[in-house]
Amino acid sequence: MEFKKVIGLRRSIRYYQPYRPVEREKIQMILEAARIASQAVNSNWAKAIVVNRDDMSEEDRNALKTPTTTAQLDLAPTWIFWYGDMTAPSRGQTTLKKLVDVGALNPSHGWSHAYVDNVVWTQVLTPIMSDPGTLAVVTAVEAGLAICQAMLMAVDLGLGTGINAFNTAKAKEVFGVPDHLIGLWVQLVGYPAESPDGGGQRPREAFESLYFEGRYGQPFERDPEVVKDLSADGMLQPVAPQPWRQEEVRALARMFGLPE
Amino acid sequence: MTIDEVGEFATVRRWLSAVGSHWNRSATDADQQRRLEVLRRYCEYVERDPDALVANLLRETPTGQKIWLKRRRAEMARIDEFEAVVADRDARAGREAGNAVRSFFIHNGVALTATPLR
Repeated sequence: MEFKKVIGLRRSIRYYQPYRPVEREKIQMILEAARIASQAVNSNWAKAIVVNRDDMSEEDRNALKTPTTTAQLDLAPTWIFWYGDMTAPSRGQTTLKKLVDVGALNPSHGWSHAYVDNVVWTQVLTPIMSDPGTLAVVTAVEAGLAICQAMLMAVDLGLGTGINAFNTAKAKEVFGVPDHLIGLWVQLVGYPAESPDGGGQRPREAFESLYFEGRYGQPFERDPEVVKDLSADGMLQPVAPQPWRQEEVRALARMFGLPE
Repeated sequence: MTIDEVGEFATVRRWLSAVGSHWNRSATDADQQRRLEVLRRYCEYVERDPDALVANLLRETPTGQKIWLKRRRAEMARIDEFEAVVADRDARAGREAGNAVRSFFIHNGVALTATPLR
């Protein structure tokens, strides 16, 4: 699929074909996409545990749900639990020097092993690691970049996907998660039972109210020609709801015996 | 409690109005009567009236309304039990009855659902 269309077609899918498993190689591709995401200090901040829904007991499955993450967990055949690794910066001294060695961080930009050892490690990474608030923010952002790539890869493979909250305390107990990992999201993966476009792109705030030029508050002017091109490429799609969406949702609810 | 009496409760009026406006269609009289009859039976089953059912699950806090999670879980289990009782002879009727009760809670702000049939 074309990259712009992958971005345009991504939705949080909440109805999956519960009987259709996801091929193992597709799950690997999703993880491979996450692994090569942009990561600060070139350390892997995101860790994941892949679980097949049907390998879990009903008791564990139910205990992992939150009040708003419910039916979609029962419907999706594969769950990927994403975690942020708070020890990632502790590997930074080594991983940054590797970047110097492979020509990614260069003397042209002031980088050297000595700079990593004497400045970055002591003045940047150590303070981040000693401030839990900053560490949590950095960890979540960096892991989020990897999760984003994982989601886009799922879309590219023709799968439905979406990230959801989960009971992190229960997951820690069920999957033996160590203390240094922060539970972030469970990414559900499966073949969509609903229309892959989810009834239209989700309504978002106006472009000009989000992005600015020069200074805060001065809108970045949106060129209608660019919008037209992106629409033609499938990145900007009709905004929800499509006229048939309510009927689709009602039919899905009845098919799966869910409340209306 | 009669069906007409059930229909008089504030939570029931809110439910029927919210279902109609969410799905953008008014229920037929027969549908409405069926829903009210199911809720009446559920109220009888748990020995609580509709307003008390909802009030039991919500609490006011300085930051707004919150759901009592343990009570919510207990209520979900009671709905499952009720569904099983109704389903004694007809599984589909059981699920429909359970979902009518769930819909009543959902449209009164208590998020809950059923295990999908698969």
